[in-house]
Amino acid sequence: METIDRLKEAMVEGDEAGCAALAAELVAGGADLKAAIAVLATEMEEVGRRFETLDIFLPEVLLAADGMTAVMKVFSPELAKDATVEKKGVVVVGTARGDMHQIGKDLVALFLGIAGFEVVDLGTDVDPLDFIHEAERSNADVIGISSLMTTTMPGATEVLKLLADKGVRDRFKVVVGGAPTSQEWADKIGADGWAEESGGAIDVIKELISGRA
Amino acid sequence: MAYRQWEIMERAATGPFMEEKEFLNKRITAKMREVIRKYGVKYDPAHPVPADDAMADAVWQAAWEFFRDVGVYNQDTHRIMEFSEEEMREALYCAPSSYTVGVGKDSRVFGHRTVEDPRPPFVIFSPDITYDEADFFQACVAYLKEPLLDAICSPLLEDFQGRAIQSKTPFEIGGSMQHAMHLRSAARLMGVPGVCMIAVGTAETDVAQVAVSQPDWGIRPSDGRLVSSITEMMTNNAMLNKGAHYQMYGSFSGNLTGTIYGAYAGGAEGTAIMQAAYHLMGLLTYGCQFQQNFPFHLKYGSNTGREMLWVVSMYSQAVARNTHLVQDSNGFANAGPGTDMLFYEAAAHAMTSTVSGTNLWETAPARNKHHNHGTPLEARFAAEVGHAVARQGMKREQADEIVNALLAKYEENIADAPIGQTFQELYDVAKAVPKPEYLDLYKKVKEAVNAMGVEFIY
Repeated sequence: METIDRLKEAMVEGDEAGCAALAAELVAGGADLKAAIAVLATEMEEVGRRFETLDIFLPEVLLAADGMTAVMKVFSPELAKDATVEKKGVVVVGTARGDMHQIGKDLVALFLGIAGFEVVDLGTDVDPLDFIHEAERSNADVIGISSLMTTTMPGATEVLKLLADKGVRDRFKVVVGGAPTSQEWADKIGADGWAEESGGAIDVIKELISGRA
Repeated sequence: MAYRQWEIMERAATGPFMEEKEFLNKRITAKMREVIRKYGVKYDPAHPVPADDAMADAVWQAAWEFFRDVGVYNQDTHRIMEFSEEEMREALYCAPSSYTVGVGKDSRVFGHRTVEDPRPPFVIFSPDITYDEADFFQACVAYLKEPLLDAICSPLLEDFQGRAIQSKTPFEIGGSMQHAMHLRSAARLMGVPGVCMIAVGTAETDVAQVAVSQPDWGIRPSDGRLVSSITEMMTNNAMLNKGAHYQMYGSFSGNLTGTIYGAYAGGAEGTAIMQAAYHLMGLLTYGCQFQQNFPFHLKYGSNTGREMLWVVSMYSQAVARNTHLVQDSNGFANAGPGTDMLFYEAAAHAMTSTVSGTNLWETAPARNKHHNHGTPLEARFAAEVGHAVARQGMKREQADEIVNALLAKYEENIADAPIGQTFQELYDVAKAVPKPEYLDLYKKVKEAVNAMGVEFIY
């Protein structure tokens, strides 16, 4: 079996030590790392697709993500030497002020990370101004805000108001979402994108970032 | 009783440190994989109501080991509250098996049930839905009119004084007080002034919950309160504040937890084990008197699908057979009011729960996310099914057959379930009674469910 095939297997199984060893083998052999990453990314997309249909569950996704992380730890120093490697974008995510429901936000952060985006996860119950401060600090492309309750949706509205009040509304795209939210509400508060659940949010964020490029 | 309250609260600050992601992504998922394998827990899609005592006991043993080895993570202090085997046994032994809730003639016994228990379930009526501020009072009235209601967790408010209620602001406190006042007034006007209220759902924060603890117009020690987890096996200081406040104020405290099928617990096996483990979490972390269970599907946010009914049945049986703890089962349906699908879902959830040894909390329609989309009639139907199957002494084997027949009525429509109609469309709001055409639909489905083998009492 080819090294890349063994690496794919090790990644899906979450075998971090195996991933590191096989990744090092590829580096030592002078393999095309961008091509290797493309192969692994395709495999991760398949993992995501199987999770979307719940043929597999989050723990299996986490294992594969751990495997991918182990590979990237080995590849990154090599890739840093390559000026042709492009960064995909930076996304700041968190739940709206007062909201403790984190699973949707966790999934968005996880899958964006797997897809190669830089993700800053602010956690739950995030102060509206903290979203903006972090977006400014990390030079983010997108701010993603999740609300799972009607009483925390105003927390997302507040982020948009503060962006406008600070005069930086145009600097960041804002995506809102969560079970009780709607496209109509997102339009009303002036968000750039909306999704009811995590899978949709990832697509919207990717689209917004590719549109900015 | 609050089990060793302050010694346990102290652990939130002194327990072992761990990064949150490490706790969720490694500690929880690895231990769950281990106990599923060790105890041989296996989902059987052919039997949504399994009559398998050995499997139920395996779920309990797995839950026990899982909780003992994982503990509860405090998100604010980044420390794990851990519990010894001896403490778990002591807390379980000392926990009462029933409580008298509510006051005077409206008081009821909320207690432990056994698998295939012929005693009817204690039924908490609740839509878990927000309503227009203008119709909130009449929605409460409509629920309080229900004859099988033992306790109420009323409709929720979204606005207060015409303004959106925002968590962690004075509007949340105002809205929560309005919720409590209206519910208390509605209960008096409907002749049930002492009914147990599991409240206040509008109060999300600890501060708002403390604000409604007021025996004259608000929540009394004879009422129930809820405290929850953030995500799997995780708490924070605000939750601990609620837990401590409820114990010292004297209310009956319930641990409101819903394991997410497909997420950190994995599939049906892990979801059942995690949900059983939450009984221990509530008892030891917050000193809870009852456990309010609402496991739900990651994609649909409901628990009436085949795999979710198996989960409900398994953890309920596990707890009913191995403890004397008080538990209830919260139905989350896919379809909305005014559809026959919602009635069939409510029947399947109520039947599965009742024969599996738990009490009922019914019914959140339309995945509990559509404003005004909830009525007392679907909860009434679930309560009637629960009473019927208990009184007729239904066994799990028969329930399994009927639940399979019920699933055949709606299983294929789960992904695209209709959201139905609003309370205002289906009820005469001024009189707080269902409109005739809505009652006709209810009667039609009741006849169909009766033909499947449910012997309704009336």
